[in-house]
Amino acid sequence: MNVKALTVDGLLHLYRTREVSVTEVIASTFEEIGRNDGNVHAFLTLCKDQSLEEARRIDADIAAGKPLGPLSGVPVAIKDNMALRSVPTTCASRILATYTPPYTATAVERLRDAGAIIVGKTNLDEFAMGSSTENSGFFVTRNPHNLDYVPGGSSGGSAAAVAAGMSVIALGSDTGGSIRTPASFCGVVGMKPTYGRVSRYGLVAYASSLDQIGPFTRNVRDCALVLSVICGFDSYDSTSADVPVDPFLSDLDQPLKDVRIGVPKEYFVPGLDAEVRRRFEEAIKLYETLGCRIEEISLPHTEYAIAAYYLIATAEASSNLARYDGVRYGVRQGGDAGLADMYRKTRMSGFGAEVKRRILLGTYALSAGYYDAYYLKAMKVRTLIRQDFLKAFERVDLILTPTSPTVAFRVGEKTSDPLSMYLSDIFTITCNLAGLPGISIPAGTNSSRLPIGIQLLGNHFQEALMLRAAHNFEKAFLVQ
Amino acid sequence: MKITETDVEYVARLANLEVADSEKKDLAEQLSRIVEYIEQLNKLDVSSVPPTTQILENVKHAVRDDRVADRTGSSEAGKTVKHFKVPKVITER
Repeated sequence: MNVKALTVDGLLHLYRTREVSVTEVIASTFEEIGRNDGNVHAFLTLCKDQSLEEARRIDADIAAGKPLGPLSGVPVAIKDNMALRSVPTTCASRILATYTPPYTATAVERLRDAGAIIVGKTNLDEFAMGSSTENSGFFVTRNPHNLDYVPGGSSGGSAAAVAAGMSVIALGSDTGGSIRTPASFCGVVGMKPTYGRVSRYGLVAYASSLDQIGPFTRNVRDCALVLSVICGFDSYDSTSADVPVDPFLSDLDQPLKDVRIGVPKEYFVPGLDAEVRRRFEEAIKLYETLGCRIEEISLPHTEYAIAAYYLIATAEASSNLARYDGVRYGVRQGGDAGLADMYRKTRMSGFGAEVKRRILLGTYALSAGYYDAYYLKAMKVRTLIRQDFLKAFERVDLILTPTSPTVAFRVGEKTSDPLSMYLSDIFTITCNLAGLPGISIPAGTNSSRLPIGIQLLGNHFQEALMLRAAHNFEKAFLVQ
Repeated sequence: MKITETDVEYVARLANLEVADSEKKDLAEQLSRIVEYIEQLNKLDVSSVPPTTQILENVKHAVRDDRVADRTGSSEAGKTVKHFKVPKVITER
């Protein structure tokens, strides 16, 4: 059984018509992982025995004529910063190498309730801090399209698993582009919903006012399907939005006539790769032929977004990561010289270089004498960035941009220069600062056969319209 | 603003981190470059702009009563261990 190109839709059809059993699909998925993951290194933990047991149970249900759930028997990979009961949850950090949570994240629980089978936990930049999955405390994940290149980050393991045929869908988390960038680099669909759409309960916090869980899939229809399962109010996350979940699937095929799409003039930055730019311009034309009205818009504070982000995210991280001190979680070092000694030794040996760098920067931004100049200023600039978008959305329904200024870069290319890595997030970061939904859709490959992604941004809670626009693009692009 | 090795030591102490002597120079240089980049925010006059403390102002957030409820794993949490062993916390000054 070839599982490499399966979609949820296709898979459920095969189950319904009894052409293939869930057990066969799960067994083939693990064969594919066995063949590929020695090169790609997408997974930190595999759940083979539990997956096969679950598959047999669903096969028995199907044989007994019980109705299928929306994701019954669908293999899913989970980024290893989401809690799954009794399975290690490491955040790709040495400091959590021995941590096994006693509970399951709400988003993961909802996938399971819908019938999905969790095949494993995927690699990430330690605590989701990075844009390449090179900052993992365990190993580097490689891009399945070319193993010399990064898969993007921080959800690189999840994106690579879907791209390499080792899972049909995956969950990631997005704080400044951590779903959309790897989706773009690996040639899959990746979406960050509106802040508050998906419960963060059980997601290990990096920057709580920016973090959001979202899906990786092989097409937009699957993305809409997964989203309809994981979205919705949860009383276990105090920032969960009590807003009705739209029927994301039913409107997908509606035409796009008269939808207004804005193209921000500030996004034609000097670092924008020529091939990415050309594909982006083709995407604009394609939307025009689909009946959309294209308008140039201005997001004047774009150039300040990265600076504001790296103050806000690191300040929140320095606070969120204070809990890893050797007392309650994971590893413990030292302690002979008392408590403070234990904290410091544990944190020194447990955290990797990038995590330490961000904790130091965040602590600096919050420290006495610098709070007003750095953190408070960044929070004010965040207001300006939000206002840019709110003003733009008075004129347009959606915003179209490239997902990343470049295609995937080589492993090692940016590791020695943290700032150059930060600058690669320019097109994805504003969306988190403004709490907006964003989706990256594959738009073919460049001359070196590396994937290019384009991004749609919508106003708060406008996922249904975004998905419709993304689905229409996908269909038209395939025909082209 | 330039971050010195002394700044790195000071901030590391605030953050309960220990930084090896061999790392201090690199960290000071990297953080200086990042802070220098961040200081472009000073070009903006934000004196009359309010800070963002809530992204979605019109959305009702989850507030629930503080009472014990069943949740996957909650009954097992704490059953796996009888006690926690912690290192000495009271030390002479």
